[in-house]
Amino acid sequence: MNTVSVQNVSMRFGDFTAVDNVSFTVAEGEFVTLLGPSGCGKTTLLNVVSGFLQPSAGKIEIGGVDVTFVPPEKRDTAMCFQSYALFPHLSVAENLQFGLKQKRLPAAERKQRLNDVAEKLDLVAQLEKLPNQLSGGQQQRVALGRALTMRPSVVLFDEPLSNLDAKLRESVRLEIRKIQADYNLAAIYVTHDQGEALAMSDRILIMRNGQIEQSGTPTEIYNFPQTSFVADFIGDANILDATIIGQESENSWRVSTKIGELLVKSDAQPIAKRLKICWRPENAQFGAGEVNSIEAQITHRAFQGNYTDLFIEMNGIAQRVQWRQSHLADIASLSMHIRPEDIIFLEAIT
Amino acid sequence: MKRWLKIGLLLMPGLGLILIFIGSVVYIAIAQSFGYFNLSGESGFSLEYWAKMFDRLSYTRAIGYSLYIGVASAFLAVIFAYPLAIWLRRPFAGSLFISAVLKAPLLVHGLVAAFLYINIISYNGIVNQLLQALGIWDGPHRLQNDSGAVGVLILQTWKNMPFALLLLSGAVQAIGDDLLDAAADLGAGPFDRFRRVIAPLAVSATQAALVIVFVGALADFSFQVIAGPINKQSLSQLMVFFKGYGRWHDAAVIAVTLMGLGIVGSGVLALFSRFVLRGGRLS
Repeated sequence: MNTVSVQNVSMRFGDFTAVDNVSFTVAEGEFVTLLGPSGCGKTTLLNVVSGFLQPSAGKIEIGGVDVTFVPPEKRDTAMCFQSYALFPHLSVAENLQFGLKQKRLPAAERKQRLNDVAEKLDLVAQLEKLPNQLSGGQQQRVALGRALTMRPSVVLFDEPLSNLDAKLRESVRLEIRKIQADYNLAAIYVTHDQGEALAMSDRILIMRNGQIEQSGTPTEIYNFPQTSFVADFIGDANILDATIIGQESENSWRVSTKIGELLVKSDAQPIAKRLKICWRPENAQFGAGEVNSIEAQITHRAFQGNYTDLFIEMNGIAQRVQWRQSHLADIASLSMHIRPEDIIFLEAIT
Repeated sequence: MKRWLKIGLLLMPGLGLILIFIGSVVYIAIAQSFGYFNLSGESGFSLEYWAKMFDRLSYTRAIGYSLYIGVASAFLAVIFAYPLAIWLRRPFAGSLFISAVLKAPLLVHGLVAAFLYINIISYNGIVNQLLQALGIWDGPHRLQNDSGAVGVLILQTWKNMPFALLLLSGAVQAIGDDLLDAAADLGAGPFDRFRRVIAPLAVSATQAALVIVFVGALADFSFQVIAGPINKQSLSQLMVFFKGYGRWHDAAVIAVTLMGLGIVGSGVLALFSRFVLRGGRLS
């Protein structure tokens, strides 16, 4: 059964449409991420689900009940805020029990839930401290714990890791995912960090201009983007305009591009004769191949630790590849090829 | 130069002058209440003025009445200012105008406000006329100088509420939307959000508003003289009465009483408001 059902939701502020006719569902125990650039409407959509905003159109159901116009305090959701939003005048223990007191739970149950969450999130030693006496990671855990003590049907995350440093972010994201799975919570997670979305999600909804551009599992989204926006937003992508010039076999086509003729192997049919294609920089094969061989000039290189980004030019078209070997000779050009199955058909060129 | 000397010299122009002026006034008042600085006879230590004053019923009544005006005015000003501060927390169309209108009493002198008020509620004033026109009253009622000092409280609240609003607005506006959203998300309705988040976080501003309004209203003279009940005297009225008869030592006893009540009352109000707004805790 779907815990959350968002049906044809739109949110308008005057003439501006922040969310445009969006529909999706989240099942019990599922972790769904709303991913997109700043201003794409993902936080607005989360605020509509949490009840902080009432949609201009559409319907929200939680646990099969229409909650579209139910205020946030009466919804079975709990939110983890980007700023953590911990009450500065209350200790960690009081922060964790805020919602439980609001629910008027008996003291014994409040204590039990507090201890459960404090142990799980390693906050036992911090319970008497005030939020300003905690590190960023600890504050984040308190915010998460405060949501979890409520045992909601749905937990909502509004970019909760954006204030943490890269190392801490990585460990906390694993923690969040584990706890969400342990409690079997439906989770909606908002982020603009594609790495976070790929690492944590069961399903990703890519948003653009208030609409869902594509949805799917992280693997589907990464390996089979449907539009150049998705291809470029999730990971790095070399995107080219292409024209189909012939079908070689049932699932391979020959296309003409500005970097030359390429053979594309795809289970998906091209949707138009003129369309965009893409290939990932890490899929470049160095050395000449049987098909799709390319000679390119190296224009710039950027050392990234475990690989080197090479910015190359072919017939005046700039592309990017990743050199994954430890040593890169001081060369000005290179020979490479792209495997036909690594090239993906995208949207039609209009 | 030694650090303490440097700090002292830097503070001298501001703090030094204040301390000298306040200190000298306080010293004279206290000394005079114990028989010193006699303007018309021998000076010397005496508890006579205090002892006689404590025997006077008018003195103890004036204490009770002034405390009533001070405390009630402080609470009324804060109670009216709080919802307005929360309402005006985030700007909306016309909020600037409303805010300016609400602060207008700050620009009107208390004496002028009291005369305007007296005119409005007078026997033939617009309040009487309106209520008769609406058929609520058959004839005019006497509203001026009511024995419950409602007129004084209305004037005190009208005059002091904008000041409390200024203090509370700053504190309430400093509370982030995220905190209130988080409280709502955790099940707190509007009143609980006020009780559990806004009030505890604005406790310092509330204390400041209560104390400042209390001290001003405790020693009120102009509103009391014009709109106050004729059968009751405030401490300041009593002080002016004694001073008018050249009884400076008695007037000094009342001045010291006012200062003492101001300090003690402020402390009690500050502790009480902290205790209440922090949900039964002082820390």
